[in-house]
Amino acid sequence: MYEYYFMTKKMCVGYDRKPLIKEMEIALPKGEILSLIGPNGAGKSTVLKSIAGQLQLVGGSAYLGDEELGEMKPSELAQKMSVVLTQKVRAELKNCRDVVATGRYPYTGWFGILSKEDERIVDEVMELTHTAGIREQEFDKISDGQKQRVMLARAICQEPEIVVLDEPTSYLDIRYKLDFLSILEELREQKGLTVIMSLHELDLAKIVSDKILCLKGEYVERYGTPEEVFEPDFMERLFGLKEGGFLKNKKFSAYIRQICAQP
Amino acid sequence: MAGRYKNRTCRAVMVLAALGVGAAFFFILNICIGSVRITLPELTGQEGGETVRKILWDIRLPRAAAVLILGGALSLAGYLLQTFFNNPIAGPFVLGISSGAKMAVALVMVFLMGKGIRVSSAAMILAAFFGAMLSMGFVLLMSRKINNMSMLVVSGVMIGYICSAITELVVTFAEDADIVNLHNWSRGSFSGMTWENVEVMAAVVSVTSLAVFLMSKPLAAYQLGDAYAKNVGVNIQLLRVGIVVFSSILSACIVAFAGPISFVGIAAPHLVKKLLRTAEPILMVPACFLGGSVFCLFCDLLAKTMLAPTELSISTVTAIFGAPVVLWVMVKRRKGSHV
Repeated sequence: MYEYYFMTKKMCVGYDRKPLIKEMEIALPKGEILSLIGPNGAGKSTVLKSIAGQLQLVGGSAYLGDEELGEMKPSELAQKMSVVLTQKVRAELKNCRDVVATGRYPYTGWFGILSKEDERIVDEVMELTHTAGIREQEFDKISDGQKQRVMLARAICQEPEIVVLDEPTSYLDIRYKLDFLSILEELREQKGLTVIMSLHELDLAKIVSDKILCLKGEYVERYGTPEEVFEPDFMERLFGLKEGGFLKNKKFSAYIRQICAQP
Repeated sequence: MAGRYKNRTCRAVMVLAALGVGAAFFFILNICIGSVRITLPELTGQEGGETVRKILWDIRLPRAAAVLILGGALSLAGYLLQTFFNNPIAGPFVLGISSGAKMAVALVMVFLMGKGIRVSSAAMILAAFFGAMLSMGFVLLMSRKINNMSMLVVSGVMIGYICSAITELVVTFAEDADIVNLHNWSRGSFSGMTWENVEVMAAVVSVTSLAVFLMSKPLAAYQLGDAYAKNVGVNIQLLRVGIVVFSSILSACIVAFAGPISFVGIAAPHLVKKLLRTAEPILMVPACFLGGSVFCLFCDLLAKTMLAPTELSISTVTAIFGAPVVLWVMVKRRKGSHV
């Protein structure tokens, strides 16, 4: 067995062959949760899109198990990795269950007709993600938070070994943020699901992640466990809080310290 | 739960059956009604003489068959383009693809007729296909620069005007004898179909439509958006090429035989979608084909009979019934969409 499930070697990501972030070295064992944090525009989405194969790598390589990502067949990759992106979903005349069921695509036959087994998995996943209640509702008419949960259900329906999530908790209220993350933890425990996601909520990133990748500028700023990353000075630097002058306010600096406090 | 699926399948089967019956009904009306009325006994060969048989076999039947085939093709081409551009008012006519095909055919016809060479059906389709691809190429180029969907349609209309202007120019300089033919055709008409025409179009359209039907699954994934389609393993580039080529072949086939026909490509798929209440390609593809056939058979019937003995151009009739549907689609679009 390989030691790490997901690994990158000198991975460079960017657009139009211009590297934005260079020489990324990530190593993630199976069943761990990796969170990407960093200021707006640091390239979190770019990294996630590149990992998910939506963007071509500008340099270096990424591996899933012992296979190189760029060399895997699309159909093969689809059975191992699923995504939840910030991009809007088009779902004309589809109800929530139809949208979730599109996750079964890599497993259905030539015409994409769902088998009994597929139907069972769809229903099971909707129970798990607490979306069974809105299954009949038209996808275009539900709230952004509900959409987010339906899209997670879709991703899980794909029975992936790894999920890539771009700001999955953004539209959710605190209850569903926790619900969302607990579903990920549950899947990690039960099925050894590996998770790579970007999070804006630092406090949540700290408690759910096994590894944290801090992005700012051309190179990875820091990569390690939450304990290694969450230091007040580093956080202030990462998000440019001093330059912003926010730390003169006692309330704010206490807040940062509180986020970084080690248990 | 099971009830719901039964309902959906039930609805789909009913709609498809209704469209099939509708197509058969209008097909029979189309071969019976015209300058000479043919009764049912005559139709079945129990009565009537050689003249009736000749009218039926040489004029009415090939024409009705052509309307059936080309109407379906037109609707399917529209559906493909709407899916490709994620734009409910895209279609071969609106995007200037029909006009491009028309221009190419006019050029080839005038050039070859000038040399006294008869143009075969296959050559016409080929010319139309190149014209269609040329326009499609322009539209694709524009779509890279323009993200706004309504502007894309405007640019398509402009391409259409340019191509039509060139066509007019060519027709003006054509020989007198050719002009009548060209003029009728360039306005859109199903008249003068021969069995040879029908055989060629049946072969091309059936193969292409079958290929489109076999693409139902990736088309369904593509409807969700590029990123998610890619994530479930769809080869997006290949699918895009498929959509572009097949919709161009279908559009080319229509233009080569009947000239440009407006609005069917938008109206028919939309009405069919309303009936089916689903956008699943596996149902939409066959339903669109049948819907387009019914729509065109109905319009051709009116074109022949409304001002008989004068025959209207088919586009006049399709515009009367199709354009309001397009307006309706635009008004009904919810906020936050692209159009």
